[in-house]
Amino acid sequence: MIIITRPFVTDAEIDHIRERIESVGMRTHLSRGEHRTIIGCIGDESLLDELPLRSMPGVESVTPVLKPYKLASREFAVDRTVVRVGGRTAQATFGGEALTVIAGPCSVESRAMLDATAAAVRDAGATMLRGGAFKPRTSPYAFQGMGVEALKMLAAVRAETGLPVVTEVMDTRQVDVVAEHADMLQVGARNMQNFPLLAELGRVRRPILLKRGLSATIKELLMAAEYIMANGNHDVVLCERGIRTFETATRNTLDVAAIPVLKRESHLPVIVDPSHAGGDADLVAPLAFAAIAAGADGLIIEVHPDPERALSDGDQSLAPPAFVQLMTQLTAFAAAAGRRLPEVPATTRAVA
Amino acid sequence: MSESAKSNEAVAELARCRDEIERVDREIVRLLADRVALGQRTGALKRDAGLPILDPTREAAVIRRVTTVAREAGLPTEPVREIFWQIVGMSRRAQERE
Repeated sequence: MIIITRPFVTDAEIDHIRERIESVGMRTHLSRGEHRTIIGCIGDESLLDELPLRSMPGVESVTPVLKPYKLASREFAVDRTVVRVGGRTAQATFGGEALTVIAGPCSVESRAMLDATAAAVRDAGATMLRGGAFKPRTSPYAFQGMGVEALKMLAAVRAETGLPVVTEVMDTRQVDVVAEHADMLQVGARNMQNFPLLAELGRVRRPILLKRGLSATIKELLMAAEYIMANGNHDVVLCERGIRTFETATRNTLDVAAIPVLKRESHLPVIVDPSHAGGDADLVAPLAFAAIAAGADGLIIEVHPDPERALSDGDQSLAPPAFVQLMTQLTAFAAAAGRRLPEVPATTRAVA
Repeated sequence: MSESAKSNEAVAELARCRDEIERVDREIVRLLADRVALGQRTGALKRDAGLPILDPTREAAVIRRVTTVAREAGLPTEPVREIFWQIVGMSRRAQERE
């Protein structure tokens, strides 16, 4: 249930409405805009049956939210959410006018390769660095990632380049150590419905990048976001990364329609992973352009200094020159979509 | 005052501020302990009076009261509400344990 207040509602009226809702055992969430305020009700809605919500002072309308996700739903927020990542020295935002491009290797393989990749992607205009420390691999015999050692490298490279870092967390036991080193925590496609992990991430004070599961519906993705939000963390960025279809020519099928649908259904920012969607370096640029044209708030792209020698996902990684070319071409697509790429700060350029 | 003297003075004042913050933090924790103890006492009294431990109406009134106090103190009300939902929950769990 959402309650839309009248214009010029007073603080006392809002306090009264919230007290009445909370007195039946529900919780409330306030979203204030310039002209109106929304009070969202969270919990068992049948508890509200007895309350004369419509006749309370300050109430303009009362609307049931029929969808199973509440906090993540578009109705619950007056404005679109802008998720801010990083701290004083390294920052990025998702959901504003500027697009955010995250780039980096599938997995961290050594400090030298991470340094080389970070410098290359930053100079090309990426404003965040990705790099896997814990890798969910289909085969238990495949490279599993460098773990905590990789987290320390990512933190060191963040300090040197000013690029905030996102890395995947696979297990509730890793949440604290990943949150200590990274600016944003990624839930991988295979863990999208790992509910204990989602609940644990709700208690973390770091934004979450939530990737859509390989066979997950849009509703299931939004319910996964709801899990994180219901546990207290409202900084969630959704990521479309391709879904399983009958097509075998591509690794996955990028669900371009999911981008506008998610933006219609939710106030959360949406980004796209064209690397995993196509599974092929040649497909990264066209899928990236399609994503931006469809309204995505950013991209996450795999870049490796030497894709042929990558320990994982080399086929879909771009070499730095191809990434530079993609970023150059992206400027025009961003402008056509009414967006822009963030300015590369001179201070970070000078380090190169 | 020279620039370096000014900066030394700022560093000394920063240390004093941090000491004061530590003192306030200790006070907050001590007050939380007092609040939990009072919660345990009300829990025992509720049991004697045959009343349920969970009282959402009372909790909602507590939250509304601290919201008003926070606003009067010039604090942002949403974070204060979040903190007090945590405190109310902690107090309730202490009552249930009794």
